Amino acid sequence: MRSEKISAIADYAATTAAGWQQIAAETVEMVPAPVEMQPNGFIQANWRDRPYGQLASLEAQSVHDGTTLAVRLRWASEKPETGGREGFPDGAAIAFPIKGEPVLWTMGTEDEPVQFIQWQAMKNKIRSVVAWGIGSSVPGSPVSESVTAGWSQGYWTIVMLRTLAGGPEAATLEPGTDTRIGFAVWNGSNEERAGIKAVSVDWSPLTIEA
Amino acid sequence: MSNRQVAMVIDLNKCIGCQTCTVACKTSWTSGEGQEGMWWNQVNTAPGHGTPKDWEKMGGGFKGGEPQKGVRPAQGDFGEGFELNYKEALFEGAGNEALKPIGDEPQWGTNWDEDVGAGDYPNSYFFYIPRICNHCTKPACMEACPRGAISKREEDGIVVIDEDHCRGLRFCQSACPYKEIYYNHVTGHAQKCVFCLPRIEQGVATACSRQCPGRVRFLGFLEDEDGPIHKLVNVHKVALGLHPEYETEPNVFYIPPLSPEKFDDEGNPTGEDRIPLEYLESLFGPEVGPALERIKQGRADKQAGKGSDLMDTLISKNFLDLFGPFTNHPREIERIATELEREPVIVPPSIEIAYRGPGGSSQ
Repeated sequence: MRSEKISAIADYAATTAAGWQQIAAETVEMVPAPVEMQPNGFIQANWRDRPYGQLASLEAQSVHDGTTLAVRLRWASEKPETGGREGFPDGAAIAFPIKGEPVLWTMGTEDEPVQFIQWQAMKNKIRSVVAWGIGSSVPGSPVSESVTAGWSQGYWTIVMLRTLAGGPEAATLEPGTDTRIGFAVWNGSNEERAGIKAVSVDWSPLTIEA
Repeated sequence: MSNRQVAMVIDLNKCIGCQTCTVACKTSWTSGEGQEGMWWNQVNTAPGHGTPKDWEKMGGGFKGGEPQKGVRPAQGDFGEGFELNYKEALFEGAGNEALKPIGDEPQWGTNWDEDVGAGDYPNSYFFYIPRICNHCTKPACMEACPRGAISKREEDGIVVIDEDHCRGLRFCQSACPYKEIYYNHVTGHAQKCVFCLPRIEQGVATACSRQCPGRVRFLGFLEDEDGPIHKLVNVHKVALGLHPEYETEPNVFYIPPLSPEKFDDEGNPTGEDRIPLEYLESLFGPEVGPALERIKQGRADKQAGKGSDLMDTLISKNFLDLFGPFTNHPREIERIATELEREPVIVPPSIEIAYRGPGGSSQ
């Protein structure tokens, strides 16, 4: 997918901003994160015979204004789930390799970490985390981030904003270069959390227009 | 692996179900926000549904070394916290107001089925069974946490949850076969019994043990050959873990209850045990029968004037002999201010999100 260069990111911050209609949307195939890759036998035992990560695909778009990158995601969700007091919220994340060529599904390695920007439906903010492998995620370098989200007629739409500038624990995105982006979605009403999720089959190439 | 293991033995023959331990624990550890329905120590009536309700049917633990599927108990299974109308009933009701819960009618709680038990009159039976986290040698919760937030301390084997790493994912709740882990919805963390580790570190017995009027609880290190735990578990072999078939190797052990005799139709004792051995075996495994025989033998030896180290240990005439190395007085504890006491309580941001209704456009 391409992140088109636009003049003002503020015009794209809202999920319903008119500008998004002019931006090409890429359909990303999603699959359940394999049960064999769950980090321990208890999670595997509980989820081996239980469907999860059933989202087949999501639509992704991206723009940037030379300073800030926006990613808009839209996916089917029967009802919005905030988790309430005891449940789990709907959620989504985008991932970027911080360096090297880490495997998306294993969430990076010690030498090749991955940055995730994660949104959860009960929060009106997103957080950047860095991971050096499954279960290792911790809050990453501060990167200015914000999000808008809305659910309507069976679909979540969210727009996540982050600065192009990165750091040791956040991917640096440079106009005129190619990088990669990964996706994950959690269905809260199915108690999906952590590795129990739908993930993109692999990284998608992401071209950041000059 | 831990270098040594702190452990507890609970004598079910002495527990009177007074819940003093429960309250000692509650006031020590779970009086905070989000902990209203949290009882790290419970005393339930057996046979009974327990806390959380029907926890023995909720799975988890291991079988043949393999992790088992488990249910994550909801707060309603433990029972919600509730307040009683003390003010109206005791001070303002002029005797006309009954003591009752404020708000929604509670549906379950710790020891909800108190004294129900089993069997038919005059051969009905029950006993009390206090429970805490078992600080297992092979903790299922620790293995289940994808965050590595649960650890077993090397110095004493106490199993602790690191709230800096816990994300409230609650896989631990499904994996723990004893269902001794709660979820604090205010802080977003899993929480459980910490074996009063700040007391243990200062040589002071756990609050539940020290406060017990029945002198039910023994403490010590499992490896300490002079301590009561080693004697009762390894030498006399009368203290057994609950549900050994869960394969987590619990470090809370129980002296199984001796049974009163059955009565026949004319009210004469029959010599038969009223508590079915099969029921006790379902709780403590096949060793419970021989353990009960050893207790009976110890009692007989004592009655015959032969002396019994087992009975002397169980009776423990000296209160402090119950506690192994943890005999310091609680008033000697050096109090260390917790972060919560030093800093204002951090409350998560209010839960806000705007939804667009069908056809709407607001964010």
